[in-house]
Amino acid sequence: MSTLVSTALVDQVRAAVASVDDPEYPDVSIADLGLVESIDVEAGPDGPVAVVGLIPTFSGCPALDMIATDVERAVTALTDVHECDVRWLPGPVWSTDRLTGTARATLADDYTVVLRRKDGGLRCPVCGSDDVDVQSQAGPTRCRAVAWCAACRNPVEVMR
Amino acid sequence: MHTLATAPATGRTWIDLDDFQSFIDAGGMVEPGDDMPGEYRDEVFRFIEFHANSELMGGLTERDWIPHAPGLRLKQIFLAKTQDEIGHAHLLYMVAADMGVKTRTEMLEDLFAGRSRFHNVFHYQAVTWADQIAIAYLVDAAAFASQRAVFAECTYGPYKRVLKRIVAEEGFHMRHGEEMLLRLATGTDTQRSMFQEALDRWWWPAVQLFGPDSDPDDPLLRWKIKSQRNEDLRAAYVQKYVPLLHGYGFTIPDPELHQDDDGTWHAGPIDWEPLKATMRMGGPDSKRRIDTAARNWADTAWVREALDRRGAGT
Repeated sequence: MSTLVSTALVDQVRAAVASVDDPEYPDVSIADLGLVESIDVEAGPDGPVAVVGLIPTFSGCPALDMIATDVERAVTALTDVHECDVRWLPGPVWSTDRLTGTARATLADDYTVVLRRKDGGLRCPVCGSDDVDVQSQAGPTRCRAVAWCAACRNPVEVMR
Repeated sequence: MHTLATAPATGRTWIDLDDFQSFIDAGGMVEPGDDMPGEYRDEVFRFIEFHANSELMGGLTERDWIPHAPGLRLKQIFLAKTQDEIGHAHLLYMVAADMGVKTRTEMLEDLFAGRSRFHNVFHYQAVTWADQIAIAYLVDAAAFASQRAVFAECTYGPYKRVLKRIVAEEGFHMRHGEEMLLRLATGTDTQRSMFQEALDRWWWPAVQLFGPDSDPDDPLLRWKIKSQRNEDLRAAYVQKYVPLLHGYGFTIPDPELHQDDDGTWHAGPIDWEPLKATMRMGGPDSKRRIDTAARNWADTAWVREALDRRGAGT
């Protein structure tokens, strides 16, 4: 069925999904956070149906329902599909590797939230120093740990 | 592009308070390594300590309601909110402790001994689940408005960076509050009257959260920690929430509430004496809350001890 649906419509849906920001990070799109796994448009009895497959950063994240509602609203408001069906997929498992450069830059520059480097090291998003120590694995959200930069004396957070 | 991640300046000095004021007025941001005036340090420290205490006491309140939240989804939301508030307190205590006025342990011990202050709203008792919804809808919104007004200027760099994340998360809490209120407001008669009773208890504490009118020469305004006067924030809050609550068909417990010809809502006069008494730890639920928090602190002493030993390599 989906072969009958134009790729233009799929692109419309993709753009609408990407317009949704994470509720806890205004200005960071869920697409840039790597939550969007699949987008399909199928023919339905009343018109095209978008099926959006998302993966959560952490299971038990309290924002899941809100994100699904925001995606449904954006897709039905901004595209020509009749209906949007959001599904939380059991896999693949989310990791920080899924973040785009845009998300990394906004998180670091605006939120002073940083990711570990491939070698496991941390670079302070405020001053660039390596003198950053994780103080607690439990930060304000499930996806972040709390660290302290001894060089610029700022508490910063680490995506985990 | 505006960014909070710029290598902070360090070691700046100012000749006197006028020189410092010119720096602030020119949009300057103070960093921990600067030789800031003692008056600024003390005021900013006190403000952040108050904020940190409020996040901690608020988090402990949310936690009390996790077992009572009806249904898994609401339990999940209250768990997450508790983690948020405790996490915010942690970040704020780190910023405050670094200012060198009190250590984190001293701040916590002062709080648990009833020697320091926190938001008025955490001195009252939440009686039913609807009170928790009223808190999530009304109190979180007031706290959000007040924190957003601090973030708007905020001349102390580390505090501003932490506030960016806190404000984003409080915005998320507000959406949860709106969602939960909608459920009660469109629910059964019992649910609606439960919320009305909770509103009767929480309307005034929420409005009073902004505090009495700001002093004409409030140093926090002068040094641009706060960007708006307390009375202006309070008026904007009343203007926003009166029509929303009326829209849901609820009654605001203020017989003198009235509307101007231009549509502006005005709350009746506020007697600040009860609030002042409450802030001196005389609120109806102050003692129980502080005792619970102090007991938590005592019960977890062994964890801190174990961590200290690990840190010392023994």
